[in-house]
Amino acid sequence: MNEVKEDLEQGTKSKIIPPESGAPFNAVEEVIYRRRSVRYYQDKQVPDYLIRRILETGRFAPSSGNTQPWKFMVIQNQELIKEMSRDVVKMMRLLMKFADYIEKGTWWKEWISKLFQRFSNNMFHPVPAAAMKLIAEEKLGVWHGAPTVIFLLMDRRSAGDPMVDVGISGQNMVLTAHSFGLGTCWVSFCKPIGMMPKWKKRLGIKFPYKLVTTVALGYPRGVPDGQVPRETQAIDWYEEDGSFKVIY
Amino acid sequence: MPEYLKCKDWWKIESFRKLGKDIILGTVEIDRAKCKGCGLCAGACAASALELKDKKVKMIDVLPACMSCGDCVAICPRGAIQLKGYFQLKRYFRYLDRGEPSLPRKF
Repeated sequence: MNEVKEDLEQGTKSKIIPPESGAPFNAVEEVIYRRRSVRYYQDKQVPDYLIRRILETGRFAPSSGNTQPWKFMVIQNQELIKEMSRDVVKMMRLLMKFADYIEKGTWWKEWISKLFQRFSNNMFHPVPAAAMKLIAEEKLGVWHGAPTVIFLLMDRRSAGDPMVDVGISGQNMVLTAHSFGLGTCWVSFCKPIGMMPKWKKRLGIKFPYKLVTTVALGYPRGVPDGQVPRETQAIDWYEEDGSFKVIY
Repeated sequence: MPEYLKCKDWWKIESFRKLGKDIILGTVEIDRAKCKGCGLCAGACAASALELKDKKVKMIDVLPACMSCGDCVAICPRGAIQLKGYFQLKRYFRYLDRGEPSLPRKF
């Protein structure tokens, strides 16, 4: 034990001391607590060096077995983004013809939407279902007019849960972007793009890659970052002395 | 009875009553004295639930699909918006094991 201690003293690295109880939030916590999804962007393009810096942090995310199963695509071509949004809107409109349980339809529509919900309860959860309806009605932009969109792709052959690994690397990038004062928003309504053969061919998404999700990136209008209340989830706590408690 | 069911245009959406059984929508309260009508919150709203009317912002009458994300609260430069009601789901999608919403806490 003593040897280790000496090594730490002699080395060039310094050890980080954890904060005291009740100490103010540090810079990382501050970024995490103030991060909000930004859905209102300026037209100004993000410079390349900032995007490179953001992508670099995504590269250093933890992954299962250090497989690093991600691939990033940066799309700044506004024509391409517009074309993709148009196709997403088209697909959403088609979907809303069959599955729409907000507006009352005919008897078969209600029945089919229930069926959709039963077999894909994440995609047809009431919140994304309402958002899909808004996209179909063009009240909500797919990428909210962001000047840059980062596509996150995963390597299907990878170890463990590559989708989780991609999510971790994406969150690294998002937090870095917010620490630079940029705005981001996770957009998973890109799923039709990953399914349509036309776009798969055009963007070169082929085996082993699969489109997981996208992150819209840009300078926000106003100052959207700030603290808002969030729900407190129950935490089951198995203590050292064998007792158990639930805290919030 | 939730607040949004009392609004006068509810019949415009036929299944509104049915929806009210499954979903309790979020609500925000706008301080009309502080609001200067810059429209940042209306632009930031993910659900298009806010609109500008007579240079003041207000929640739309018909189905403001607010999910109490708080983007409008955070973006408002004058602190005119406050979250009042939180989005809740019932039946199959109901939220489990949750306490009162709160700001980041220091321990």
